[in-house]
Amino acid sequence: MSKKEKLVIIGGSAGGPSAAARAKRFNPDLEVTMFEQGRFVSYGS
Amino acid sequence: MQDIEVKTEHRVTKIDPKEKKIQVDNLSKSETQWFPYDQLVIATGARSRRLNIPGNDSKNIFTLKDLQDGIHIKNYIDEKRPNQVAVLGGGFIGLEMCEAFRLRNMETFLFCRRDLPAGNLEREISEKILNELQENGVHFLDHQEPVAFRLNSNGEITSIETSKDQFPADMVLMAVGVIPNVEIARKAGVELGKTGAIRTDTAQKTNLVDIYTAGDCCEAFNLVSQDWVHTPLGDIANKQGRVAGENAAGGRATFLGVVGSAAFKVFELEVAFTGLGTQAAQRYGFEVGSQVIEAESKVGYMPGAKRIVVKLIFDRKNGRVLGAQMVGKEGVARRINTLAVALHQKMTIDEIARLDFAYAPPFSAPMDPILIAAEQAAKKIVK
Repeated sequence: MSKKEKLVIIGGSAGGPSAAARAKRFNPDLEVTMFEQGRFVSYGS
Repeated sequence: MQDIEVKTEHRVTKIDPKEKKIQVDNLSKSETQWFPYDQLVIATGARSRRLNIPGNDSKNIFTLKDLQDGIHIKNYIDEKRPNQVAVLGGGFIGLEMCEAFRLRNMETFLFCRRDLPAGNLEREISEKILNELQENGVHFLDHQEPVAFRLNSNGEITSIETSKDQFPADMVLMAVGVIPNVEIARKAGVELGKTGAIRTDTAQKTNLVDIYTAGDCCEAFNLVSQDWVHTPLGDIANKQGRVAGENAAGGRATFLGVVGSAAFKVFELEVAFTGLGTQAAQRYGFEVGSQVIEAESKVGYMPGAKRIVVKLIFDRKNGRVLGAQMVGKEGVARRINTLAVALHQKMTIDEIARLDFAYAPPFSAPMDPILIAAEQAAKKIVK
C-alpha cells in the first residue's frame, strides 16, 4: 500500500476550510490536516 | 464526517520548505512538534492593526477580527456595563460596531482621521452615512488623531487624548484596519507583493513549490485596475481557498480576480460599492468622470420606496465604467451586483444605459436608478 499524500493547511477561518473541503472532494485519498491557532474554525465566511 | 483532521489551538511557528515540514505548537499542552507535508496551503489570515500609542494594551481596549474577539467584547459589556465607548476608525467594522453599541444603549463616540466616516468612499456616500450615524445618536468626531490613552490604577482606560482634545471613555474599540499574517511565510522564503501580503497568481500558488495561499494573508488581482491588491474579505478568501485546495489536490482551477465589491449596513442604511473610487481611478491614470443621481428604489407610490444615491465613476475617454457606489435604506446591496457584472465585462456607460432590467412597481421604477445614472453620465463622455 502506498503512503497517502499529505495536504497541510495553516489557518482555519475562511480560506483554510474552503481549501480543505475542496481538496478532499477533488481527491478523497488525500490526508488533509488543518491547523488553527484559535479555539474556533470557520467563523469568517 | 469528512475525514479532515482539524487541530484547533495549534499554532504553526515555522515552515521548512526544503524538508517539507512545519513546526507546530500545541497551545493547550505546550508541546512543539514537526509535521511533514506534501502540499501546503498558507491561509494565515490577517490580524487587527493596533495604534502604537501609550496605553494601547489596556484591558478595556478591544479589536474585532474573529469570533473570540466578539465574545470578549460581549462579555465585557455584560460584566462591566460600560457607558461610554470610543470607536476608533470609520471603516466598516467601526461603523457596524457603532450600531451594535447603540443597540446596547451605550453612548458611542466615533473618532475619524478625516472629515467624514468611510473616508475611502465618495463624499456623497459618506455624507449620508454621517447623517445616519447622527440620527441614531452616534457622536462623530472628525479629524481626530488619538495620541494617548489615560489609565486608572487598574490599568483601564478612562479617557482618550487626541491631537485636539481629551474625551472620556470606559471602553475602546480599535478598528483601524488589518495587517496580513505573513511572518512565517516570509521567513520560509515566500515572496510578498508590494502590498505586504503574499504574492500569488491565478492558481493561488506562491513562489515556492507545493505551497499555495488563500485569503486575507495574500493578494488578489483587481480586474479594473489590472493591479495586485490586498482585499481582505471573507468571500474572496472562500473563493481563493477553493482554488488553492483544488490545485493542491492536483487540479487546475483558477481565481481570475476581483472587481472590489462589498456591502455593509449602518443602522437602516445599506452601503455598497464596486470597482474603483474617483481618487483610485485617477491614481491609475484614468481620465475620470463621475455622475451622482438620487432616485427612488421603486415606484414612489409603492409602500417602502426609498431615496437612493447612485454614483458612477467612468473613463471619460472611452465611456468604460470604472466603479459604482450606492447608499440608501432599500434596494442598494443587491443592486450593486449589476454593476459588478458590468465591471467584469468592461461595459461602457452607454451599454449600461440601454440594459433591459426587470420592472414591476414593487421592485423598481421603469427607469431604474442605475439606468438614470448611466443616462446622465453618458452626456459627459468625450465623443
